[in-house]
This record gives sequence, C-alpha cells and structure tokens, in this order.
Amino acid sequence: MKTENKIKKSGLGARASRRISNTIIYIVLIAITLTWLFPFFGILMESFKVNEKGMDGELFPEVWGFDNYIRLFKETDFLKWFINTALMGIATAVFQTFFVLSMSYTLSRLRFKARKPLMNLMLILGMFPGFLTMILIYKVFSEAGLTMEMAPVGLVIVYCASSGMGYYISKGFFDTIPKTLDEAARVDGATRMQVFYKVIMPLSGSIVIYTILMGFMAPWGDFMLASYIIHENSAGMSVAVGMFEWLSKTMLNTNYTMFCAAGVIVAIPVTAVFLALQKYYVEGVTGGAVKG
Amino acid sequence: MKKLTDLEYLKLNKFQVLLYNLKRFFCAIPGWFVNMILAIGRFFARCGIAIKDEFVDIGTTFIKGNWAVKTSFFIFGFGNLFYGQIARGLLFLLFEIVFIGYMLVPSGGIYWLSKGNWFQNGATVGTVQGGFTYDPIFDTDVWVPGDDSVKVMLYGLLTIIFIFAFIYTWRLQVKQCRICMDITAQGKKIKSSKDDLKSLVDDQFHKTLLALPVIGILLFTVLPIIYMILVAFTSYDAAHDGYSNLFSWVGLDNFNDLLDFGNGGLGLAFGEILSWTLMWAFFATFTNYFLGMFVAMMINKKGIKLKKFWRTALVMTIAIPQFVSLLYVSKLFDSSGIIGELLGKIPAIKNYLNTNHYFSLWDSPAVARALVIIINIWVGIPYVMLQATGILMNIPADLYESSRVDGASPFQQYVKITLPYMLFVTGPSLLTSFVSNLNNFNVIYLLSGGNPINTQIGSAGGVSVGHTDLLITWLYKMALGSAESKYYTASVIGILIFVVCAVLSLIIYNVIPSTKNEEDFQ
Amino acid sequence: MANVKLTNVKKIYGKDTVAVQDFNLEIADMEFVVFVGPSGCGKSTTLRMIAGLEDISEGTVEIDGVVVNDLQPRDRNIAMVFQNYALYPHLTVFENMAFPLRLKKMPQDEVYKRVVNAAEILGITEYLTRKPRALSGGQRQRVAIGRAMVRDSKVFLMDEPLSNLDAKLRNQMRAEIILLRQKIDTTFIYVTHDQTEAMTLGDRIVIMKDGFIQQVGTPTEVFDMPVNLFVAEFIGAPKMNAFKTNLVYEDGKYYVTPYGAKIEVTGKKADMLRERNITSREIILGVRPEHVNLADKADASAIPCTIRVNEMMGSELHLHVVEDNGDKLIVRIPTVSLEDEQRKEMVYGSTIYITFEGKVMHFFDPETNENLLT
Repeated sequence: MKTENKIKKSGLGARASRRISNTIIYIVLIAITLTWLFPFFGILMESFKVNEKGMDGELFPEVWGFDNYIRLFKETDFLKWFINTALMGIATAVFQTFFVLSMSYTLSRLRFKARKPLMNLMLILGMFPGFLTMILIYKVFSEAGLTMEMAPVGLVIVYCASSGMGYYISKGFFDTIPKTLDEAARVDGATRMQVFYKVIMPLSGSIVIYTILMGFMAPWGDFMLASYIIHENSAGMSVAVGMFEWLSKTMLNTNYTMFCAAGVIVAIPVTAVFLALQKYYVEGVTGGAVKG
Repeated sequence: MKKLTDLEYLKLNKFQVLLYNLKRFFCAIPGWFVNMILAIGRFFARCGIAIKDEFVDIGTTFIKGNWAVKTSFFIFGFGNLFYGQIARGLLFLLFEIVFIGYMLVPSGGIYWLSKGNWFQNGATVGTVQGGFTYDPIFDTDVWVPGDDSVKVMLYGLLTIIFIFAFIYTWRLQVKQCRICMDITAQGKKIKSSKDDLKSLVDDQFHKTLLALPVIGILLFTVLPIIYMILVAFTSYDAAHDGYSNLFSWVGLDNFNDLLDFGNGGLGLAFGEILSWTLMWAFFATFTNYFLGMFVAMMINKKGIKLKKFWRTALVMTIAIPQFVSLLYVSKLFDSSGIIGELLGKIPAIKNYLNTNHYFSLWDSPAVARALVIIINIWVGIPYVMLQATGILMNIPADLYESSRVDGASPFQQYVKITLPYMLFVTGPSLLTSFVSNLNNFNVIYLLSGGNPINTQIGSAGGVSVGHTDLLITWLYKMALGSAESKYYTASVIGILIFVVCAVLSLIIYNVIPSTKNEEDFQ
Repeated sequence: MANVKLTNVKKIYGKDTVAVQDFNLEIADMEFVVFVGPSGCGKSTTLRMIAGLEDISEGTVEIDGVVVNDLQPRDRNIAMVFQNYALYPHLTVFENMAFPLRLKKMPQDEVYKRVVNAAEILGITEYLTRKPRALSGGQRQRVAIGRAMVRDSKVFLMDEPLSNLDAKLRNQMRAEIILLRQKIDTTFIYVTHDQTEAMTLGDRIVIMKDGFIQQVGTPTEVFDMPVNLFVAEFIGAPKMNAFKTNLVYEDGKYYVTPYGAKIEVTGKKADMLRERNITSREIILGVRPEHVNLADKADASAIPCTIRVNEMMGSELHLHVVEDNGDKLIVRIPTVSLEDEQRKEMVYGSTIYITFEGKVMHFFDPETNENLLT
C-alpha cells in the first residue's frame, strides 16, 4: 500500500515539478537573452542619438537622426578603414584556409617521421606570447615598407604566415573521417594527392567553410597586432585600430555616438556572414554534433 | 606509499577514498619531477647516442665509400650526379655554391658574424657607432650611419641558421650518395628525378603540403622568437634602438632586474601582475566553463522549445567584433554610462565611491577586477555553450535512462554522469582555454586598459602598472605604449610567460588522463 | 590473376612490437586462401602488407614474380574489400564503383559497361544512382565488392568483409562469395576470425596465432589433423574438448584413461601411434564434441558427468557437462539418435554417462602442445 501511494504521488509531482522547472528555465533563458542582446540594442540606439554631449547615460535617443552615420563618412577615414579590413578579411580567409587545411590534413592523415616533433614544436611555440614576435617583424616590415599605409599587406602576412599553428580544430575534424576511406582510395589507384582532393576535401565542406569564416573574421577582431603594425597611420588602419582612437579620454565625448554608429556598420556585414554560415561554425566548434 | 589492491580499495568508505586519493596524488608529485628529470636525462642520452652514431656512420661511409662517395664529402651532389640523379645533384651543388659565396662575399655571412660580439658582456652588438660629423660641403653636421644592431643580430642569426642548414644538407647528400651506392651494389634501380617528382604527390605528399605552412612558421614565429630570446640578453630599447645608438650584450642583468624587489627593480610589479594573471585565468576559465555548461544544459533540456533561437541569440555575440562590443560595455559601466550611472544612484555604492574618492566603478581595484571577470562571462559563455552542447548531445541517452531507472535525481545525474563525462572530454580544451586566458589581451585591454593604476608600485618597465593588468597587456604597453619601449624587459617577461604556461601545462597534462593519448579518441 | 609469394615476411611496429614473423607462403594463381586466427594474430597486418597499406619490415612480397615491397598500393594492381565497406559517402553507387576506373582515365562507355555489368552480377542495378547512406549493410557490402570487381586486378583481397553484417545476412553473403568466385577468375586472399567462414570458403586455410603461422592446409587437413592444440581448439565448433590424461600401451593395444575410464584407441589412429613407436605416456587428449557418445553405466569406458547447461539447437543437442573433478566438457548429440524420454532426463544436475569415439581422438604433447602424430 505504502509504495503504491508513493509512486502515485511522485508521478503526479513529477509532471508538476517539470512544469515549474521549465518555467524557471524559460525565465532564466529570457533574462540571459536580454542581457546578451542588450549591448547590441544599446549600440544601435546610441548610434541614432543626435547630440554633442557624448555619453548621457540614457538608453533611448532624445532626438533621433542619422547624423552620426553622415559624419562617419564625411569627416573620417572610416570608409577607407572598412575597405581595408574587408580586403584583409578576404585575403586572410584565402591564404589562412590553405595553410590551416594543409597543416591539419597532413598531421591527421599522413604519417611521417617529423610528425610528432612538429606537433610538439608547435605546442611549445604556442606558449610564447605571439605578440613578442612583433619586435622583429615590425622592424623588418618597416624596412620592407609593409607598415603604416601598407600595413594591410603586412598584416595579412602576419595573420597567415604562422596560421598553420592553429590546426587543432580542423585536425579534429579530419580525425573523424575513417582512415579506411584513404586506404580504399589508395588501393583503387589514387595517389595521396588524389585522395586529398577527390575523397577527403569533398567530405570536408563544413570545416573548409569554418576555416574561411575564421580567417575572414580575424582582421575585424584583432587589435593588438594591428595597432603595432599600423603605427597610427590613418591610411593603413583597420576598423578596430581606427575606432579605438575615438574612445581615448580626450575624444570620448565628441566621438562616442559616432563610434556606436561605426560599430553598427561593422557589425552588420560580419554578423550577416556569420549568421548565414552559423551552421558550419557550430559544426566546427562542436565537431559536428549539433545540427542547425 | 603503499598502493592498495583493487579489493582493498573497494572496502574504503567515501571519506577514506578521498583521503587515499589525495595522499596518492601528493605522493606522486615527487615522482613526476623524478620522471621529468629522468626523461630529460634519457633525452640527452638519446641525443648523445644519436650524435655518436652519426659520426660513426659518417666515418664508415667515408672509409667504405667508393670514390664518388668520397668526392661528395667535398663537392655537394657529386654522388647524385654520378649515379644519375641529375636534378638532386644540381640542387645540392647550387646550395653549396650559394653558401660559400654568401659566406665569403664582403658584407656576407662572415662579415655579419664577426660584427656581433656574441654574448660578450658589455660589448655592443655591431662595432661602428653612427654619429654626426662635420661635412665641409654642406657646412653642417650630417649623420654618418654606423652599424645597425638589429640588422647585425638578425643577419648574424640568419647566418648561423644557414650554417646549420649547410651541415644538415652536407650530411643529407652524403647519406643519399651512400644509399645510391648500396642500391646499385644490390643491382636495383635508383630513383630518377621523375620518380622524385612523382613521390611528391604520393608517399612524400606531406612535404608538398607542409612546405609553405612550415616555412611560414619558421620565418614568422620561430625566427622572431629566437630573436626575442636573444633580445632578453641585450639592452635593446627606444634609447638604444641599434641605429642611432648601438645596444649591447648585458648577460643576465635583465633577469636579475625581475628578481629585484627593491626600488627600481621589477620584482614587485612582476609578482603582483603574475598573481593577478593566474587568479584571472583561473576565474575566467572556470566561471565560463561551469556557467556555459549550465546554460547549455538548460537549452538542451527536453521539453524546452525554441532551442535554435536561444542558441543563436548567444552566438550572435561571437559574430560582433570584440572591440566594438567590449569598448561599448566598458563605457556602460563608466560614471556617465547607462549602467554606471544607474548603479551610482544606489546609496551604498555611491557612498563607497565617494569615501574612496573614486570617480567611477573602474577606479576601484576590487570592483574593476570583479567587473572584468563578470563581463568576461558575457564574452565567454557562448563559446562554452556551443562546445558543451556538442558534448552533451554525444552523451549516450541510455546512460540517463538507466540512471533514472536506478532512481537518480536530476541533480545526481548531473554530478554522476554529465560532469564526469564533460570533464573527461573537455579536459584538454580546459587547459588550452586556461592558457589562452593567461594571454587574454582583448578583454582586459579593451575593457579596463589595465587600470586602475596601482599606486603602490607606480611604474615598472617604463610603464605604469594597473590592478587589472595581465602580463600580456603589461608587455604590450611596454613594447608599444611607452616612449621608452623596453624591448629587453618585454622579452624577459615573454620568456617567463612561456615558462609559466609550460609548467602549468606539464602539471595539468600529468593530472588529466584524457590529454595523454591523442589516438584514444579516434 | 597471379600468384603471390611471401618470403620470411616480418612486421615490427615501433621498436620491438612484432606483429608478424617468419611468414612464408606461396599462393597459386586462382587460389582462394583464407587467413584465420583470433584478433591480434597478425592476419590483417599480413593482408595489409600485401596491399601495400603497411610497410614490410623484413622479407619480400612478390606478386606475379615481381617484388612489390617498395610499390605504392596503386601500382600493385590489387583490389580490396574492407570490413567497414569504406564507400565514398559523397559519391553515388555508380561513381563509387567507377572510382578506380576513373583514376585510370578509362573512357566513359567502358566505365559504364563494366560498372553496369558488375552491378548486374551483384544485383544492385536499381541502386546505382543512390548514395551509400541510403543503402543497407548488405547492399553496401555488395557495392564494395563491386568496386573491387570492376577492375581486372591480379589479386582480390578481403579484410573481414562479413563481420559487420548480422548472422543471417552473413550466411547469405558467404554463399554469394562462393558463387562470385566462380565468376571472377582471380586469386583471392580472405581474412576472417570466423572459422566457419574459413572452412567454407577457403581452398586452403592459413591459421595464425601471435604473428606466427600455425598451420597451412585444406579445410579437411586442418580439421582432421591439427598440428597443435591451438589449431585443434580453434577449428571446429563447438570447441574441441581437451584435458590431460594418460596414454597406455598394453599388449599391442593403445588405451586412453580419462577420469578412471579405459577407452581403446582404434582404427587409423592406433596404427599411426604404432608406426611412431609411442609407448605409455602422459598426453593431452583432444576429443571433438561430436565424437563424444553416450555410454552405458556399466561400461568400463563410461565416464559419469553432471549436466550444467542444456542447449537445444534443433538438429542437435549441446550439453555442457562437468566431470567429477571439475573438468568441463561439451557433448554434441544429434537429436535423431535420442529418444524423447532420454531427452527429458537431460536436465540441469542430472548425471549422464559418456565415452569417446576411439578412432577420431587427437593426442597432444602436454609440454609443447604439438600433435603427437604429425
């Protein structure tokens, strides 16, 4: 009798408690979503403010208008920076994809004597702050004329040259493709290169797109290396370095709303590309476990 | 200590198990060090044996080799040419000619090497100091350039690398020549140049694929890092930039500076920043990890709808460049920012700010540190959420079903199934995210810029030290943000960051079982 | 169509893990050879060395008289079927089967002819435009075989091709491979861990253990005359009963004395013992379950046993019994030879009396485990 009661009770309770816990989860998720999206909303609102006061502690504009956007293109080099960054993004995407995929494919599928030492070397190199390589690279680049207004070229080289060291995620992906596919292809008469482009590459669409996406986004987010190579030359700036200047203590009040407007313009293409390819990004990060 | 047998171990109660494992963990620590030392010893012993073998092999090759092999000891590629590998032979020969030419021409390899005064304490890098001399034609002082220390060091370094490459190539072609001889003796056919080309797309395909990426890494990471390590032993800074003023070798002075806790020494600043860096990395990693996992579990819970929507909302934050979102968020908490102003109205906070004469929340060391950690949660959760989602979906559903049948509550399921599974799978990535947090430049620099300034220390390494400064931001300011540009201190700190990362990684690699075998997961 | 010759082949992994050694075998043209053994015995490694997927540490592999040690797999002209099918997921069934031909740059009409022909033989014509994902396990296996069939390869290698299929499908595919063999005239090398497959498919069987060949022979040879205890226990199901006992030579007759019983060795086996002048000694006696007979309680040759497990297989009954001192034996009795009454009595715990067939016993040396008669 007693156990019967208990089962019945917990059966009823389970449904009720699930409903309660789900409600709580929905509330938490809504709160989280609002928190996460708040800054974007804030930036958008800020960009429509028409005033000269700078930061005013208000969320919504007193007067709405596109003044900031107009100023952005009329008074600043923003357009130049934007084009710089976009071009850098495209170039980086192309070269970095080539470097990363070559490296990760080789380490994942091919076996050769130097494989382990190479991986160890890259592991060790990764522990040095990469930023310090700039001491030499900047010096060499400035001799070669790849800084200042030519900085975008120099930066693409910097982003791509060592990008082979970021092979981990795509190697993880290649590791999941069964090795017998390679073997079957080789027995069928394929050279290793044919295995690469006839068998493995067609199966690796998602990781290729992921790598391209990462390459394209790198110049938009990088501040540290870019600021060093660009060295405050407006013609060669990327958006990150250029816009950072606007928020220095002296210029903060005049430029704050304009910064937000520029932020909106920068965010739109990157977010659009990202959301369009989100599926591949998620597959890259999760190793293909999450669809959609 | 004594290891219990499996059956004895099973007899222990929970508390004893914990005690036993803790004891074993700490007892094992000396073992790691012993193992490490042994491993290093073995490594050197192996190297010694390998070098000995090489020399023995070279000797026997010379003695047993025919005249073609012997000649190739002096003329590169001779053996290859002799045995009909024309392309290889010519490449080797070309390499030798280029090398000898480069070494001997004026302002070639020997010139640069001789200029370096390598590692002579107090001596300058480069020998001729540039300076102003009176020029009668223009009737004014003109700059007569001398050596450039940077170039002297760089070209010297390149020359040394070139010499190693030369020795390696010499050895390689001697070896190949001998192999040719052996193969011919067995009556087999030697690979032709055409075979060589063919094998580049087949059994040597890795060479084709790796050529560019590895050259990139060598030129843009390895070389600069070696250079940086050399800089740590010099006085390279803005005042001694090598061109207007030669810089010189200073031995271990720069390292001593870091251990100098007195006035003018960097010890205090370094200690302070290092401890905050470790603290930051710890909190940043673990808050993100657990909260991100928590969010992932909420989204993935059965019966929760709009999964894709919640996920996308969070993932959006990855898409927007950090410098936009972080700079905006940092301004939100400023005194005139939306949140900063709102919080400033709360009496307790207002009081706190006023009594300490803080202008905004960012001026309080404790609050600033808390803020960067909290805002970093905002930055980091989407990544962890995605990763965790992937892993959560991979946990076999029957584990949960069977545990429910066994009578586990949701909380018990989390502790007994989800957490161990996650920890096992994400162990290695936890390590990398810890290391990358140690070097998380963007979040700190864009949010607080390292501020507020630590008034007790003031400035070190030519730049002011802030309460939220990480080693990496300190280093950035030192190399770029200050007029003094103390490259040598920056290099020393760079080396120390490496040491910290390496030691931590070693320890963690030893503790986390799943990091050990790459192939286990395939 | 070619012969394959392996001479002193050895495979070492890393520094000193030996996977295969002293492997000497000559496979004739058109022969069907099966490598069989427990997992880790080196059978797959050997096959992969023939295919060129593993380096050969020592020794030589010849195909058609040419040493292929240094040749890439694609230059060896072999075809191979893998355990997990290894179909290219991004290609249709047609393109999967055409893949090796495309790599040879064969003209389209020839490709079409060959692929469709192979598809007809295998009965997969209607799936030619599908992707492998949309096929069942058996169909995938057919495609994999088809891909290997379309080329005129010298040697046809199969690495446990049936072990991913369920039992029923496996039997069906096994029969089809036998039929297939008659249609493709080529040399087959087949790797399996399943002795039934080995017995039914092979012209010759190569039994391996720990990297060594144990025995090479036709199915009948290895079944009737296993060279050692390992082969004896590995071939045949259920497994052969083996236990220590004594061989007694008395008045020109041989007896074995298991568990106090006394059974005479008769027929050819007795003659062979006599030829080799073997006297009384300790042996390991091997008796296959089908050579265990029910006996009368009163017989001198009867051994009392207790039934532990009773497996009714339909056509026969498998009894797992325990002898008084704890030794476990398996008895296999055809159902037709049992009365209903008798069968009802054979339940857990009941005692039965058994004896061994005197003419088909196997005698092994207790120290070396070698067969005394080879």
